[in-house]
Amino acid sequence: MTTERARPNYVAVWVWLVVLMIAGVLASYLPFAKSAVIFLVFVIAAMKALLVALYYMHLKFESRLIYAMAIVPVVLVIGLTFLLFPDLVFHH
Amino acid sequence: METTAATRAVTHILPGKVGVWWFLASEVMLFGGLIGSFIVSRLGSSGWSGEAAHLSVPVAAINTLVLLTSSMTMVMAFGAVEKGDPRGLRTYLFLTVLLGLTFLGIKAYEYSSEVAAGFTPVTGLFWSFYYTMTGLHALHVLAGIITNLALFVMARRGLRNQHRVELAGLYWHFVDIVWIFLFPLLYLT
Repeated sequence: MTTERARPNYVAVWVWLVVLMIAGVLASYLPFAKSAVIFLVFVIAAMKALLVALYYMHLKFESRLIYAMAIVPVVLVIGLTFLLFPDLVFHH
Repeated sequence: METTAATRAVTHILPGKVGVWWFLASEVMLFGGLIGSFIVSRLGSSGWSGEAAHLSVPVAAINTLVLLTSSMTMVMAFGAVEKGDPRGLRTYLFLTVLLGLTFLGIKAYEYSSEVAAGFTPVTGLFWSFYYTMTGLHALHVLAGIITNLALFVMARRGLRNQHRVELAGLYWHFVDIVWIFLFPLLYLT
């Protein structure tokens, strides 16, 4: 385990996580179209997840193999979910 | 400093780290499957997600804050290992365990008030999803707490083999990320 790598400011990341969480909760009360609100809330959630993954899990500083192991299942899950849309969402 | 285990590995990455990421990849498929099913079911039918109005957003928001903070204390524990600070390691592991237990306590309070109001896993589709997803997540939190507690006990004997803190941290952050998606999915939409 290397000690030379640059260490992110964990507390600063936490502050951003809290800010984004509050933003997400507030966003859910916005008087816009439901799908727009849902989209915004999920974008905020994705940003929080990215912060945790990149800085707390140190994904930003890891090798490409580790990065691939993190990304591929996420892509698969998103793909599999969308594959079900024709049958279950865009009705028969 | 590279450990012997890392130099012997073909990838020059600590083998334990590769192992944990493999495991996390399978966990992504597990929770991803549940989340995907929820999204597809919700978009495919209408109305049943209105049940979410019976959930308490403030309580869950506090729980989200608890889990986010526990992620920070967990990574600070790992930072303490890198700095060679045994006292810091014990303090941060202890805080992480404490925050994890707080999360479960708040979740238990939520469940009991929801059941008391008549909402059980068989009340309807939304509640089946809710209890399954948050229940499975809570079990994962429990497993993480036990692991971190074990590391805390080991830490009292010094800093050897504490690269495990980094590996346990990866699992704990993943559990946090799952909740980061569950919270808006179930409570905010």
